[in-house]
Amino acid sequence: MARQTASIQQRLGLTPGTPPILALKGVSKYFPGVIANEDVDIDVYPGEIHALLGENGAGKSTLMNIVTGIYKMDAGEVIIEGHARDFSSPTDAIDAGIGMVHQHFKLVRAFTVAENIHLGWPQTPKCISKRHLESRTHALAQNLGLAVKPEAIVANLSTGEQQRVEILRVLARDAKLLILDEPTAVLTPKEARELFAALRAFVARGNAVIFISHKLDEVMEVSNRVTVLRGGKKVATEWTDTCTENSLAQLMVGREIVLTETQKKTAPSIKTAPILNLSDISLTTDQGTVLNNISFDLAAGEILGIAGIAGNGQRELTYVMSGLSTPSSGMLTLDGKDVTKAGARTMAQTGIGHIPEDRLHSGMAPTLSITDNAVLREYAQPPLTRKGWFSPKGAANLAREIARVADVMVPDFNMPARNLSGGNQQRLVARREMRIAEKILIAAYPSRGLDVGAINTMMRYFIELRDQGVAVVLISEELEELMNFSDRIAVMFHGEIMGIIPTKDADVEQIGLMMGGTRQEDLT
Amino acid sequence: MNLIRLQRMPIATPRVAFAFRVASVLLALFTTAIALSISGRSPVALGAKVISATFGSSFGLEDLALLFSPLVYCGLSVAVALRIGAWNIGAEGQFNFGAFCATGVALFVQGPTWVILPLMALAGMVGGALWILIPTLARAYADVSELITTLLMNFVAILLVYWVATGPWLDPSGMALATTSRLPVSVPALWGIVHWGPLVGIFLAIALALFVTYTRWGYEVRIAGANPGAARYAGMPVKTQLIGIMLLSGAIAGLGGMMEVAGTVGRLQGGISNNYGYIGIMVAVLARAAPIGVLATAFFMAVLLNGGIVLQSQGLTTHTVLAVTGLILLYAAIGDEMAHYKILHPKVKDI
Repeated sequence: MARQTASIQQRLGLTPGTPPILALKGVSKYFPGVIANEDVDIDVYPGEIHALLGENGAGKSTLMNIVTGIYKMDAGEVIIEGHARDFSSPTDAIDAGIGMVHQHFKLVRAFTVAENIHLGWPQTPKCISKRHLESRTHALAQNLGLAVKPEAIVANLSTGEQQRVEILRVLARDAKLLILDEPTAVLTPKEARELFAALRAFVARGNAVIFISHKLDEVMEVSNRVTVLRGGKKVATEWTDTCTENSLAQLMVGREIVLTETQKKTAPSIKTAPILNLSDISLTTDQGTVLNNISFDLAAGEILGIAGIAGNGQRELTYVMSGLSTPSSGMLTLDGKDVTKAGARTMAQTGIGHIPEDRLHSGMAPTLSITDNAVLREYAQPPLTRKGWFSPKGAANLAREIARVADVMVPDFNMPARNLSGGNQQRLVARREMRIAEKILIAAYPSRGLDVGAINTMMRYFIELRDQGVAVVLISEELEELMNFSDRIAVMFHGEIMGIIPTKDADVEQIGLMMGGTRQEDLT
Repeated sequence: MNLIRLQRMPIATPRVAFAFRVASVLLALFTTAIALSISGRSPVALGAKVISATFGSSFGLEDLALLFSPLVYCGLSVAVALRIGAWNIGAEGQFNFGAFCATGVALFVQGPTWVILPLMALAGMVGGALWILIPTLARAYADVSELITTLLMNFVAILLVYWVATGPWLDPSGMALATTSRLPVSVPALWGIVHWGPLVGIFLAIALALFVTYTRWGYEVRIAGANPGAARYAGMPVKTQLIGIMLLSGAIAGLGGMMEVAGTVGRLQGGISNNYGYIGIMVAVLARAAPIGVLATAFFMAVLLNGGIVLQSQGLTTHTVLAVTGLILLYAAIGDEMAHYKILHPKVKDI
């Protein structure tokens, strides 16, 4: 044990005897009927980026909530720089130098960056001018090497910039240990690279980072060591350079996952008649023209991937295809029938499932029960509704069935749906939509918030649906996912389709150029 | 640092939530008792007086039932609108205008009672619905907050009733200052002076509860009220639902107004709504917009208001009751939040 510790210190270039910034010993946390964490030991040393990896529900969030003083552990010790600590509140944890950046930012959107940085900070002078506040922020940002615009209103910033403000706010409070919960989920690849550079600079100053992620490639890229949790327990802590993505995935899920198992099993026949036809579809909203002359055919039994940087019209395209938006011009034909103005209900009843991009706000009613949410697509038909009478019992049965096949453990179906984790919400919505998708399934970013195992399961179902003759539209930011699972890839840019390439002829370079606005025909 | 620690749970269990509700009511009464005893009165004696005057005689119970009636209608009116996510602050105005329309029918249409009474009820409901129509359309099509528009419409309705009761429709006998003459028809009595109003209110609450839980529309209203985005996504006609439910809300308050003129008071008089519409907001909020809950909270508020009348006879102002209701609402709000917390027992630990 002692030798092992010494070797860690040596490898990180620390003087022997340097205590870890954070040491967890035998940490356990139990909720009624659930082991959230049991006997977890982790050491995080100065100078390292320590990845924390695990499936949805593996206990990562609970563990971090204990470290940051939100939950109280039932057994074990939290040792900060050699001193056992027992935090009563998040404030205690902040005072001890532990800062966390959550997935959902905790910023006041109407305030400027400078105001957000100084809000609720004891070191903020009682009386201070706006200019002084901004110059302080500027100095802080310089010192910590994070570029922010002190005078900008947070609501006007991109997600990446907002995240930088969050990080700056945590670091300004003298954090020595920065915990990031899935920080790249909301970032573009470029922003993610900037974040990684900032994190490396931060640990180089003798600090440490705990990096929670699902994305194996990122863990491989950024971390020094990685700890894998499964079912609330620690499975292993490894040096990242001794691991591969496959070995990590296996540790995480506890069984062999072949990451590319479903790859390149092209659809039986793309030659079948088009099921959905878009011809010259344009959509103008108060944001301007968001879709511009979009035309393509969707064939039964294919997976059409849609690539593009988020916000280039993908959401609007899904809305038009699912009947939520009526295009300003152009025509939408389903099985030869004009459905341009059919509306969402008719489209759903004809067999179009839609996993929306923002499931919590457009696909669910978070304050209502899980049952109410699970039956959103089938409430109007028997056995749930007969002659206008709704059967709560029938609804409960259907909800149980959906949760069962979605593999979501629900302690209480009357619980508001917002209490489910993001991953479980996603599974439920995906299952609910797959049930009605007899003709088409539109899936917008279905893998967001899911771990490798769950993504794999979901993609397998998509492929099964395809093989049954359902057309699947898969929108994703992960090029690899699109290359692995789709039969054709359409690339969107500024509300237009730059081109559609059969996946077998596609290469990432080409798609990348098209995502940046080059048309297929202009590629040489 | 080893003080008692609290942990916030995502949901309050119904039993704990209910316990906190009861505790908040008791605490409000207790606070009032302290204030009363500081001002030199005996809260115990006053309390006993209120209870015996309310529950100790059939007069008291009859008064209670008559107070219960408008509170149930107004409470249901607000609760129904809350279900679709709208704040109907205008039950007061809809109550007045419903009463006005029903009175119009009674004064100017001749016919047998069994024709006139249903016609009056219909007029009351249509009147109430009409009074919320403009706020409803403004909300549905121009996204104007119904909170302000429904509130403003109240003053118009209240003044309108004052005007007809002191002017065009003033009792020609010259004996009254601000009331119409006695209406030729009245809602039949059921028990003593208690008419059908309270009972119809109870049936209405049950019907609404069944509607919310056991009909397809009820499900759609729940979804649309909780998240209009999700309702649109499922293809529900959100705008139509909003309009329908808000008009229903107005109609319920209007029916309450009709029961008041045709049952309790027997004539239209200025200030007939007596703040019932505003108290209805409290009734609905305390009941968490659940129709059956409205029955309980309306009953409770009726006891309080009735107690206020008794207290007045003891030389206290009606403001005492307003203060008590305000305290209850405050404590209930605090209690609702506290019901989410769980006490964690600290572990003694040496460092």
